[in-house]
Amino acid sequence: MKASYLTIAIVVMHFALPPAAYAKLKVFACEPEWAALSQELGGDKVKVFSATTAFQDVHRIQARPSLIARARSADLLICTGAELESGWLPLLTRRAANKRIQNGQPGHFMAAEHVERLDVPAVVDRSMGDVHIAGNPHVHLSPQRILEIATRLSERLMLISPADKAFFKTRIDSFAQRWREAITTWEERALPLKGKTIVVHHKDWRYLSDWLKMDIVASLEPKPGLPPNAGHLAKLKQQLKQQPAAMILRAQYQDARASKWLSKNTGIPSVVLPYTVGGSDQAQDLFSLYDDTLTKMLNALP
Amino acid sequence: MNWDALDLSILGPAFLAGLLVLSTHVPLGQQVLARGIIFLDLAVAQIAGLGVIIAHNLDLGHHHYWVQAIALGSAIVGSILLYLSEKHFRDVQEAIIGCIFILAASGSILLLSAHPHGGEQLKDLLVGQILWLDYSQLIPVALIYALVLALWFGFRNRRQPLLFYILFAITVTTSVQLIGIYLVFASLIIPALAVRIAKHNKATLAFALGVAAYGFGLLISALFDLPSGVTIVWTLAAFAITLVALRKQRLFQALINRF
Repeated sequence: MKASYLTIAIVVMHFALPPAAYAKLKVFACEPEWAALSQELGGDKVKVFSATTAFQDVHRIQARPSLIARARSADLLICTGAELESGWLPLLTRRAANKRIQNGQPGHFMAAEHVERLDVPAVVDRSMGDVHIAGNPHVHLSPQRILEIATRLSERLMLISPADKAFFKTRIDSFAQRWREAITTWEERALPLKGKTIVVHHKDWRYLSDWLKMDIVASLEPKPGLPPNAGHLAKLKQQLKQQPAAMILRAQYQDARASKWLSKNTGIPSVVLPYTVGGSDQAQDLFSLYDDTLTKMLNALP
Repeated sequence: MNWDALDLSILGPAFLAGLLVLSTHVPLGQQVLARGIIFLDLAVAQIAGLGVIIAHNLDLGHHHYWVQAIALGSAIVGSILLYLSEKHFRDVQEAIIGCIFILAASGSILLLSAHPHGGEQLKDLLVGQILWLDYSQLIPVALIYALVLALWFGFRNRRQPLLFYILFAITVTTSVQLIGIYLVFASLIIPALAVRIAKHNKATLAFALGVAAYGFGLLISALFDLPSGVTIVWTLAAFAITLVALRKQRLFQALINRF
C-alpha cells in the first residue's frame, strides 16, 4: 500500500510542477551526426532522438509509429536538409502536425542550409543523374562547416529555451574550443593524405576530400544514385590501370560488392569508413568519428 | 515497449486505409484464388510502374495527374492482355503472368538506366507506406473503391471476366501506392486462402480476419516500433494460420456459424 501511495504522490507532483522546471527540450534528429551535435551543445537540458542509425541509407526509410509520435512531441527538428530527406521528411512533418517544427519556425533547423555547399549545379538536367539542386548535402564531413552549424544550432537552442541561455553559451564555447584544437591535430595527422587520389562509391565523400585536399578521380556509381554496373566498372578498371588511385572509399551502409571487385582487380586498397556517428565501434561521437575516419584512411596508405 | 505511439491520430488513418483496402481486396482476392492467378497483382502493379517510367521518358514525369493516368492506363491495357491470355491459353495462364511480370520489371530497369529520378517515382508507386497516409488522401481512394464495388456487385448476375480484369487493374494501381505491394498481395490472398474451406459467409469471415489482423498489426508495430506495413503482413498470416488450425474446434465452429 505504501508503495502505491508513493507512486500516486510522485505522479501528482509530476503534473503539479511547471513544465520548465523539469522538462528537457525534445530534439528530433534525422541523422546520427545531428543527434550527436545536439547532445554536445544541449548537454542534460536536451533529450535527443535519432530517426536513423548509421546503418541506414537516409535517402529512404521505413515509416514506424514512433517516428510520428516523436516528431509530434519534438521542440526542435534537426535534419540535413538540402533535399537529402525529401523522400520522407515532408510526409513525416505533415503527419506529425506539430506547429513547433514546421518550416519557418525556430524548431525547424536544416543544417546544410546554414553553410556554403559544394557542387551547386548551374543548370539541372535529369540526364545528370540524382543531382541535388541545393548542392551536395553531405556536409557533416567538413569540420569547419560543423563549427558553423554548431554556432547556428546553439543560437537556435537559446531562442527556443531562453531560460537556459547561459548554459548553452558555456556548452558552445567549450565545444568550439575543443573542436578547433581537434581540427589542428587532425590536419597535422592527415598531412600524408594530401594530394592523394581516391575512388568513391557515392558523392558523399565530397567534403572530406575537399578538406583534406584529396582528389576524387572516379565514382563507382556511373551517375549519382545509379548502382554500379559492369560496363562502368570495366572502364574504371582500365582507367585505374593507367593512373592508379590511393584508395577506394565507401560508407559501411553501402553495398560492398562493387568496391571489392574493383579492389581485387586493380590491387588498390578498399577502405570502409564509418561515415557518421555510430558507423564503427570507434566512432561514438563527432570527435571520434573524425579520429576513426583518419585512422582508417592513414592505415590504407602503403 | 513504446506507449507514446499508441495514439489514435497516428494509427487511425492507417487503420481506415486498411478497412478501405479490405473492402475491395476481399471480394477480388476470392476471385483471384478461384481463377488460380495468384501473381496477377504483382504483374499488374509492375506494368503500372513500367507505364510511369515511360511517362518519364516522354518528359511527362512532373505532372502528377498525367503520371496517375498513364499508370492506370497501362495497368488496364496490361490486364486486357492478361484477360486475352486467360481466354486463349487457359492452361498456361500462370506462366504467362509470371513472364509478363519479369518483362515489366526488367523493362523498367532497362528504361531506368539513364533516369534515376524515374526510379524514385517507380519506388513511390510500388512501396507506398501505410503509416504516412492522412485522412485527406483516403477520400479519392474511397471514391474509386466505391465505383469499383458498385460495378462489381452491380453486374453480379452478368459478370464478364473482362470486367474483373479491368476492375482489378484499377484497384491494384490505387492500393499499391497507398500500402505497398507486399501488403496488397497479403490482403488479397491471405484472407481468401484462410476461408477457402469455410462453408458459408466466406466474405464476412475473410473481412473480419483482415480487420483483426490490421488492427493487431498496427498495435504491435506501435508497441515494438516496427515498420507497420510489413508487420501487418505477418499478423495477417498469423491470424490465418490460427483460423485454419482452430477450424475443427467445436466451440469455434459454433462461433463461426453465428456469423
